Amino acid sequence: MSAMEKFKEGIPFENAWVKSWKNEGKKVLGYFCSYIPEEIIYAADILPIRMRARTCTDTPMGDAYMTPTTCSFTRCCLELANRNEYKFLDGIISCNCCDQVRRLYDNIRYKAPFPFHYIIGVPGNVNETTLDWFKHELSKFKQIIEKTFNVEITDEKLRDTIKKYNKSRSLLKELYMLRKRDDPPITGTDILNIISAGISIPRDQFNELLTQLLKDIDNGEGNSDYKARIMVVGSMLDEPEYLQIIEDLGGLIVTDSNCVGTRYFWDLVDEDSNPLDALAKRYLSRISCPRMTDGQPERSEFMMNMIKEFKVDGVIFQRMKFCALWWAEIFMLRNKLKEEEIPFLDLEREYVLSGAGAMKTRVQTFMEILEQR
Amino acid sequence: MKEIDIELFNKYKKLSRGSWGKDLGIWKMMYTALLNQQKNIELTPFSEMLLNIFSSIPDARKQGKLIIMHPFNFEPELFFAMGLTPLMQEIISVGLAPIHMNQPYIDFANKIGYGDNLTICNAQRPIISLLMQGGAPIPDLLFYLSTPCNSLSMSYQVFQNVSKIPSFNLDIPYSAYNHESDYYDEKTVNYVIDQSKNCIDWMENRTSFKFDVENFQQTMDWCNQARGYVLEFNELLKAVPCPVTSETGFGNFLTMVTRGGTLDAVKVTKSMRDTAAHNVRNAIGGVPDEKIRIAWPYTHVFFDQALLTWMEKTFDAVVIMDLLGHYKVLPHDISTIENCYMSLAEGILDASMVGKCRGPIEYYIDYMINYIKDYKIDCVIMPMHFACKHVSIMARVTSEAIREETGIPTLIFGCDSYDSREVTSEAIKGQISEFLTQVVI
Repeated sequence: MSAMEKFKEGIPFENAWVKSWKNEGKKVLGYFCSYIPEEIIYAADILPIRMRARTCTDTPMGDAYMTPTTCSFTRCCLELANRNEYKFLDGIISCNCCDQVRRLYDNIRYKAPFPFHYIIGVPGNVNETTLDWFKHELSKFKQIIEKTFNVEITDEKLRDTIKKYNKSRSLLKELYMLRKRDDPPITGTDILNIISAGISIPRDQFNELLTQLLKDIDNGEGNSDYKARIMVVGSMLDEPEYLQIIEDLGGLIVTDSNCVGTRYFWDLVDEDSNPLDALAKRYLSRISCPRMTDGQPERSEFMMNMIKEFKVDGVIFQRMKFCALWWAEIFMLRNKLKEEEIPFLDLEREYVLSGAGAMKTRVQTFMEILEQR
Repeated sequence: MKEIDIELFNKYKKLSRGSWGKDLGIWKMMYTALLNQQKNIELTPFSEMLLNIFSSIPDARKQGKLIIMHPFNFEPELFFAMGLTPLMQEIISVGLAPIHMNQPYIDFANKIGYGDNLTICNAQRPIISLLMQGGAPIPDLLFYLSTPCNSLSMSYQVFQNVSKIPSFNLDIPYSAYNHESDYYDEKTVNYVIDQSKNCIDWMENRTSFKFDVENFQQTMDWCNQARGYVLEFNELLKAVPCPVTSETGFGNFLTMVTRGGTLDAVKVTKSMRDTAAHNVRNAIGGVPDEKIRIAWPYTHVFFDQALLTWMEKTFDAVVIMDLLGHYKVLPHDISTIENCYMSLAEGILDASMVGKCRGPIEYYIDYMINYIKDYKIDCVIMPMHFACKHVSIMARVTSEAIREETGIPTLIFGCDSYDSREVTSEAIKGQISEFLTQVVI
């Protein structure tokens, strides 16, 4: 089986790796946002997996408690929690990343509780004061994990885990660099499959698979039969079908600024500092999501650099319906692209793929525009 | 009209003459409309304060004072202490809502692709349209909090992005400073104090004003005097019948969030306290034959200013306080500068929507249970503004907790508080009417 095929096996939420981990009598914790340092959890020999809900088809409970005008990701998560589909999890970790996830955490505690819940207060901007606060928050988080699961997270264990996660980050970056080629050896859909597996399987195995994948594809044939090179920008997207639609219509996704994408892995943790300090600094100062109020210029610059380095022809924004953060952010990013005369398409979507026909029509039109340039 | 009022009225009228600047067109229109409303009635401390809010902006320009724009969830005492003129931005959307004048700006926001009614709050969205059209008051500085919602913090980012005006964002922690809370964190208050000090440095670096301890203490003293009156007022509302009408409590909030830290606020809150005390002494109810006491744990439906009066007249029902009007910031000892900082920080953390909504749902549920018990509430009505995710997602669980703990019913209805086109007054009245007649009475 090729590495790529193995990654695909890691996509289901309760995949074979998770089952095997549980069979060893070890714990699994679900977490909600890329601002939560997985390293602290993994250093406790607990598997952190990012909360997803791709199997959700309808949301009666989610609509009733979260309201129908809330993002469908959070409604789907409450729905699956209520249906006990996350029963293999030993607990959940959340943060105040956005209003909807913050309140999802409340609803889960009241309506579909887990054996363990914890929420981390992540500051909304970066300066010395907020960085100190975040260190304090992470220190409390580490202590609560130690106390609840009766483990000791030593500095040595943390350092070791940070190295493993940094290795993933470096390997993923190496993979992305290959996408700068005129014939990128990997598609955007495959990349999403890889990172989706990465947030769901043990780090050691993920690194092994990434290393194997890089060997498999480095000298392989690339994709040159495409109409345009696309960058995808937006919020939590873990449904490869969305990207498949874009790529089936001739747009090759060569880079992104996505939550399950570059924003997850682009920045490294300093391996030489005190580990908690280094984690606090990395997670707070990384390429941000719009929840960080002082990060917009950097986010805009990041997008522009990506466009230049990856020779992007057009940008597709993907934002979940009812997400204020991303709608406002895309409003600002669009203005930047207009100034630079870079074509873009703004796609509003639900969490689980729906309205594929309408989406295809819009993407197809966008591809035609790009082809004519 | 008393002679002194004519004199005052003429002073305000004189201010309305001449140009206030292109960006203050809407601002001046609101001032003039307010002034015209006062033409044939006695000026109250409250209406005088409202006129001062509007006139302070052109006044500041004339005097070369800097204007700082801030949202509804932050009291301006620190800005007054720093010699700045605060401009509470939502006064525009709240002021325009009853005359349906937000609608063209909401439509423009839709047209330029800045959100929709269900996603980005119309408390802030019209200001972005106004800015893009050159009609928003242009401040010298922007200030906002990370809480209570994404909508607010994003609209300030957009305002900053478009206008390039320097901004300061103060991060509000999720944790509690109250020892009894499960979410207690001993560093909570100090975190806000440290950021407040950073904010002072930021303001000093952008103005010619240097922070003055005595000035700060004086401001905090006035702030605390007003807080004391508001708390007394809140206590008086426990009386049956409630001594004031349904709209009254909101006045305290508006006062503190626009003029907190000034003598204006002391004067207004004292006058409101005095009226409530007089009515309690004489058993006068805000609603003459009070039958139903309602908790309204959200903002008013701003586009229909007559809604609560309709409830009073139709059902003899009184809304004791809305979420914002239920202002619960304690006055503090401000004898030392460090105590002043603490008073400032706790005020920030306890501000109406911040205190109840910045953290876990328990902050809101506990507030509701106490409110219901303390004020002998018969039912709860929660208007859920569509774009207000952080509150609307709590509504159902909160209503269940309320029923379990107190046994009283809750009505939850959706609307856009600033745009009557989403859900009309008639539709809202229909739901309230059915609830009060079929469930409560």
